[in-house]
Amino acid sequence: MLLSEAIGLAGPALELAIILLLLRKKLWRVYTFLFVYAFWLLIGNSVILGTFLYFSKIYPDFPNVYPALYWKIYWNIDSIDVVLRFVVIWEIFRQTFPKRSGLNKSLSKGLGIGALALLAAACSIFLIYQDYAGPRSIHLALDRSFGFVQALMILGTLVTARYYGVRYGRNIRGIALAFGAWVSVSTATNAMVDLTNSFLPYWYYLRPLSFVGMIGVWIWALWVYEPNPPIMESGELELSQWNQEWNRTISATRTIMRP
Amino acid sequence: MINLILFTVLGLALFGSFIFIALQGSPKGLPDSSAVQAVTEIINLEASSFANARRLLDDTDYQLLCSNPDLRRLAERLRNDRRELALAWISQLQGDLLTLWRFRRFLIHRGVPSSVNEELRTLKSLVLSIALLSFLRVSIRAMGPFALPRATRQAGQLVDGMSKGAALVLGRIPATGWAEIERSWVKSAA
Repeated sequence: MLLSEAIGLAGPALELAIILLLLRKKLWRVYTFLFVYAFWLLIGNSVILGTFLYFSKIYPDFPNVYPALYWKIYWNIDSIDVVLRFVVIWEIFRQTFPKRSGLNKSLSKGLGIGALALLAAACSIFLIYQDYAGPRSIHLALDRSFGFVQALMILGTLVTARYYGVRYGRNIRGIALAFGAWVSVSTATNAMVDLTNSFLPYWYYLRPLSFVGMIGVWIWALWVYEPNPPIMESGELELSQWNQEWNRTISATRTIMRP
Repeated sequence: MINLILFTVLGLALFGSFIFIALQGSPKGLPDSSAVQAVTEIINLEASSFANARRLLDDTDYQLLCSNPDLRRLAERLRNDRRELALAWISQLQGDLLTLWRFRRFLIHRGVPSSVNEELRTLKSLVLSIALLSFLRVSIRAMGPFALPRATRQAGQLVDGMSKGAALVLGRIPATGWAEIERSWVKSAA
């Protein structure tokens, strides 16, 4: 069996495994958006695999020469996937900063504006770039523009959480890191393959392999139910003491500045 | 072409960042082992409560001693002593700022309302203040404690901004007692 066929089979098999895992442990109720995305992946990649197997029977040169219809199906599914990846980002964000937490109330508006700005940047980058060598290049440009922004969103969420000392459980930590690493690799490899055609043979393997790797890490992360520890909230606090100390320190600093 | 090279480099850099975070392990909660100590420091911030800062950096005594040739050596000793004191004080002041900043993060973590803009402003002010204090330390070490009174005046505006930003957040919080903060902090550090 060809390596590409093995990878092609491994994708849907692992996606099926993650769906079964989410169903069996009833985690789909907790990680609903991830479940929706995994379900989409299974459908999309099964269609790609089915098309691959169908053409391998009717085209004698397949898989040395791929027919245009195969690529059309492949890239259209990939383009839908680019958009649906945002549900994974939303899942990570909502699990990290739960809706009723003070952190969510404080940061969601600012981070939302930042996310919108990134989205606008992704659209602009995609529309500005017009040096397309063919249909593949259009999809690659879409993939890398949004992939880059998605990686930034995940990194921003992780960095913000670390800044405020929000602790991650195994589930979200694994999902976020694997997803972020995968979209980053995808961004880099998609640019490299447009940069030089000599990278194409590697890209054929790197792209699906990195994806299979991500799904593998997701399965590992979800194998044990370990959600993020809850953020401890304080009640009403007396902070005027802090305010006094802060102002005292600042005025002391000011004294140094203006002796 | 530049676009593609940029995406390649940025993609690889992002990948490196995720690997770095993965290798670092889970982030520790803010209230780590130093948390209890930090509470104590906040209650009694030594550098901030030092009342004679103005006097410490005032060169009147030094000039007075210098005016008498017989007291030049004494003037030099005074200058050296003042320099050591000023350096120690600035160092403690930097520590106080960092402690308060850590505590601010702790409070936001525990639900005190704030916004990204305010957080970024505070962070910017803190970084600039720490950088300026570091610069002052270097200049005091190199040129003595009385050398740069004018050059540092502009830094005061940045510190003012930081102070206002912090006061704005804290003004929104209702009060029930300092002891409760300390209890919460110690409890979450456990």
